[in-house]
Amino acid sequence: MFKYALKRIALMLMTVFIIMCMCFILIRMLPPVPLQPGDPHTEVLMARREAMGYNKPIIVQLGIFLKDIFTRWDWGISDSLYYGQNVWSIFVTKLPASIIVNLYSIIWSIPVGIALGVFAALKKNTWIDHTISTLTMVVISVPSFVYAFLIQYFLSYKLSLFPFLMKGGTDWFSKEMFISMVPAVLSLSFGVIAGFTRTTRAELTEVLTSEFMLLARTKGLTKRQATVRHAFKNCMVVIVPAIFGNFVGILSGSLIIEKIFSIPGVGGLYLNAINARDYNIFMLDTAFYTVIGLAASIIVDISYGFIDPRIRMGSKK
Amino acid sequence: MFKKNLKKAITLVLVASMMVSAAAGCGKKGEDEVTPTVAPTQAATDNTEKPGTETPDTGNTETPGTTTEPTTAPEPELVIEDFGDADYVYKDSVSTLASNWNPHTYQTTDDSYPADFLRVGLYSFIFNDELNPVEGKEAYEGYVIVPEMAAAMPVDVTEKIKAEHPEFNIPKDATEGYAYVIDLNPLAKWEDGTPINADTYVYSMKELFDPQMKNYRASDYMDSDFVIANAKNYYYQGTESYDAIGVKISEYLAEGKAVEDIYVDMSFWGVTAPDGTNYALATDDTMVRDEAIPEGQPEDYVSAKYLYDTYLGPGCPYESYSSAYLCTKTSYADNYDFANVGIMKTGDYQITLVLGKALAGFMLHYNLTSNWIVYQPYYDACKSQIGETGAWSTTYNTSVETTMSYGPYKLTQYQTDKAMRFERNENWYGYTDGKHIYVDPVDGLTYPMYQTTAIDTQVVAEAATRKLMFLKGQLMDYGLQTEDFDEYRSSEYTYVTPSETIFFFIFNGYMDAIQIREGKKAQEDGTFVTDFDQTKYDLETMTLTSFRQAVAVTYDKEALCTAVSPARSGGYGLIGTNYIYDPETGAKYRDTDQAKQALCDFYSVDVSKFASLDDAVDSITGYDETAAKALYKQAFDEAIAAGYITDADGDGISDQTVEITYASSASSAFITKTLDYLNKKMNEVTAGTPFAGKIMFKESAPLGNEWSTKLKSGMADTCLAGWSGSALNPFGLTELYTNPAQQYDAKWFNSSSVDITMDVNTAGIDNAAKVETVTMTLKQWSDALNGATIEIGDKSYNFGDGIADVETRLNILAKIESTVLMTYNYIPMLQDAGMSLLSQQVFYVIEEYNPILGRGGIAYMKYNYDEKAWADYVNSQPDGTLSY
Repeated sequence: MFKYALKRIALMLMTVFIIMCMCFILIRMLPPVPLQPGDPHTEVLMARREAMGYNKPIIVQLGIFLKDIFTRWDWGISDSLYYGQNVWSIFVTKLPASIIVNLYSIIWSIPVGIALGVFAALKKNTWIDHTISTLTMVVISVPSFVYAFLIQYFLSYKLSLFPFLMKGGTDWFSKEMFISMVPAVLSLSFGVIAGFTRTTRAELTEVLTSEFMLLARTKGLTKRQATVRHAFKNCMVVIVPAIFGNFVGILSGSLIIEKIFSIPGVGGLYLNAINARDYNIFMLDTAFYTVIGLAASIIVDISYGFIDPRIRMGSKK
Repeated sequence: MFKKNLKKAITLVLVASMMVSAAAGCGKKGEDEVTPTVAPTQAATDNTEKPGTETPDTGNTETPGTTTEPTTAPEPELVIEDFGDADYVYKDSVSTLASNWNPHTYQTTDDSYPADFLRVGLYSFIFNDELNPVEGKEAYEGYVIVPEMAAAMPVDVTEKIKAEHPEFNIPKDATEGYAYVIDLNPLAKWEDGTPINADTYVYSMKELFDPQMKNYRASDYMDSDFVIANAKNYYYQGTESYDAIGVKISEYLAEGKAVEDIYVDMSFWGVTAPDGTNYALATDDTMVRDEAIPEGQPEDYVSAKYLYDTYLGPGCPYESYSSAYLCTKTSYADNYDFANVGIMKTGDYQITLVLGKALAGFMLHYNLTSNWIVYQPYYDACKSQIGETGAWSTTYNTSVETTMSYGPYKLTQYQTDKAMRFERNENWYGYTDGKHIYVDPVDGLTYPMYQTTAIDTQVVAEAATRKLMFLKGQLMDYGLQTEDFDEYRSSEYTYVTPSETIFFFIFNGYMDAIQIREGKKAQEDGTFVTDFDQTKYDLETMTLTSFRQAVAVTYDKEALCTAVSPARSGGYGLIGTNYIYDPETGAKYRDTDQAKQALCDFYSVDVSKFASLDDAVDSITGYDETAAKALYKQAFDEAIAAGYITDADGDGISDQTVEITYASSASSAFITKTLDYLNKKMNEVTAGTPFAGKIMFKESAPLGNEWSTKLKSGMADTCLAGWSGSALNPFGLTELYTNPAQQYDAKWFNSSSVDITMDVNTAGIDNAAKVETVTMTLKQWSDALNGATIEIGDKSYNFGDGIADVETRLNILAKIESTVLMTYNYIPMLQDAGMSLLSQQVFYVIEEYNPILGRGGIAYMKYNYDEKAWADYVNSQPDGTLSY
């Protein structure tokens, strides 16, 4: 297993490097943001581009970029969105807001989603199952920003239970901050709850009809014992990767939800960086999410072995 | 049993979730907390200190080279009202928060947001009132320019500087407008109490033009009307710049410029110049190897001369690329001394500015309403070199820690992309100098400016959220959306803010492109478009003047606004209603007889049939169904004769539909609604004409930022577009319609080919009138109007600001406007404006919108409620929701 993990990590680093190089070349090949004809700042912008080295051959720029990262962990400065500021600092400053909102959402949503899924599976083909399944489909079909506006309208405007926007500041764990996050957390939660409900119900329904469940019951286990000890454990092979997937998602933020609730997170950073040709922010975003995505896939793969001992990673036999 | 246990499990999960939540709620409060909606505890400053006691006046020293001595101010009897120590917080929202408000580097309007609070210019505008009267104007009808960071108005010392400082190259015959002494306000301080003096100004300008920093805002002082002498030589020292010529080479050479000065950007061909750079003279025939072509094959070696003669030169197949790949070169000497740049310390509190272009009067003061100074300790600390690029950058004015105010407010909290808070800067001289006061036009009492004690600004991206927050009393204003107009347009809290922009239809007249699109002419690669059905559709007819004239009188402009954009009003001329031609008096161009006559000429209104010119103009709606029908018939006859359309069955109806493609950057409800309206009205007006049901506006595929390129190249036919510019200079707008680099219609309208003859006063401003009949091209008239000297035969003409009299300039401007309108390349449709609701917590001192001062901004804003009273008032409303 250890050897397998090392191999995967080595492959991951190589993949990251290739993706970084490709993205670097592609973003630099995009033409600069066009200026209005006759803009008096054209000349100084061109001079700035020259000074920043953007007119050098792209391969030379790539060399400088990689050297700065590997020798000084310097991801450069933002040249348009956050002029003059270190992009790593900007990114790290904005990350907590995205993480905290998504984390609350997941902490709340996963148990509720799994519980509803289990409940629906155990009540299969009853009105309870039909109700849960129908609601799940409806919730999954509606985009989260619709809930955001509805929650804002009813909970914040009509009932005045919560503020319209997330509170400012970095007191992430204060009571005021938590209360101000509730509308955003709820907006994000509906989709996650529905997703886990559907997955859990489908998996558990299938497992519950398996022959080994019959065997477990004939051995004398109660329905509860058989479900918890055998059926639910088998479901986790599918559910756990989904949980990891959601945890990866919390780092990327949500463009729409962050915009509606004024969450100063990283959700819109990627898109804004491309539109503004802010090369360094784009590259940092690319590297970060590539590493997170690949690392998550390794963790998920390795986790299979722990969840189900029958699965052997890297085994030649 | 299981059922019971499952219930327990769910209960446990819920309890666990609640516990996590509760634990989260017990966290520690962060140090950088921003609380945008919480009222501050800042005590208001007592502004009742009477001038004439301890407040020094800076005085107006006439003699350059001396420092200003404080004197006591008069008016001891003035009583200034007191706002007490209540909190008055302005709660604002923005879509994008400022991220860089450094006066040397900020780039966007969003980034300029904090400037009004943190900085003040050398001069500023205030309303005219009893304290600052303007002759011939009622109070609050105009404005006054007053010294702010300066102590007095600038003194012209052109003759003196010309004699003593030849390095500034002031023209020999210049006697004024090139050099000014400015006494500085000795009361000005940074928020930490550090004095602001002449050294601050000189240091800051040196940093602004620092060749390493390559500051964006340097061009405001080099490439505009306000040019600091030799600044460009310092900024670009030691560099060579190759600048694309920007127009097709044939147009470039037609201006009398030489091909010997042209460089070819060899990257056009994927090769480098003989010296290894990208650029070689267009006359250079040194051959370089093109590695992409095998040896011995044609074009295995090419030269700059070959590329120019074969591909990029006049009449060559790729001439259209010449604007980008042919360049001119400028060389700047190395080690240029900043002492030669036009700013000098001539006293501890006095600077002398030397300009590279003459500037005087209003425009000089106007340019000095912005300021370039920076706080040296922070600025030096914030500069850093970027990796190995050799470029430098700065983090100055990107956070609370890197910001030092010298304006009425200081930045106290900032969170990137979230919120910022400004509080009163108690070290600002304006709170105690006794000059920042005004007489309320309603109650006649005198009040201190800046009643607001703090400004909370937060990012609220969605209009729907802004509206809900506004109705709960959490925001000061709300910009109405289309869906709000019916409900709020007649509210007593609704304000209309006019804008400069006129939105016009640009009408495609580029026959070459149209014929290529129709498949009648070959594309650049020699192939023909095949998917255009000439039996069903036609594009060429829209190039006919009669057709364009007909479209111009097809739509009632006000009805169009009501249908698609109620906040706006009808647009009739190229120059909007907000443009002021005389900043000293605030007189508007659109109110002049010349401008009115231009509209009457364009809309064929017979003025003699009306009691006055005003009545004639008032009759214009843009809509004349009878004339439109006649013009469509005429266009039909002309189009048949030209072979653009057919009438095979002889029923007198066009066989083809004239299809007008609307260049859409991205689909929107506004575009859909507009096109629906245009097509509906077009069908109504063309009923009974040969084009009945045969003219159609259709939306293009989303073009993004390419929409203007498509219009200019004739690949799209129309769009509602417009220009916005300084409301104080309508004369400069003529450039947009006559300069090929900026024209939308440059491909099919040559402003140098249209002659205009006018009787004009050529004697200049200070001499007895001398009327001459002058004939020049449209472009030459525009250039002359904007300060260029045009040689016609042995005579030269210049009708620039400060050179020609205002009446003459207005005559020329109106003539240019009507001439451009008569091309029917631009059909004015909408006058831009915005409509917004203002909170019941505040009110404007003056309701009438002033193009310079708006409604007075934060300086003149007054409050009906302080924060505590406002909270009580909102809570007392049904459901805590305000009604507007």
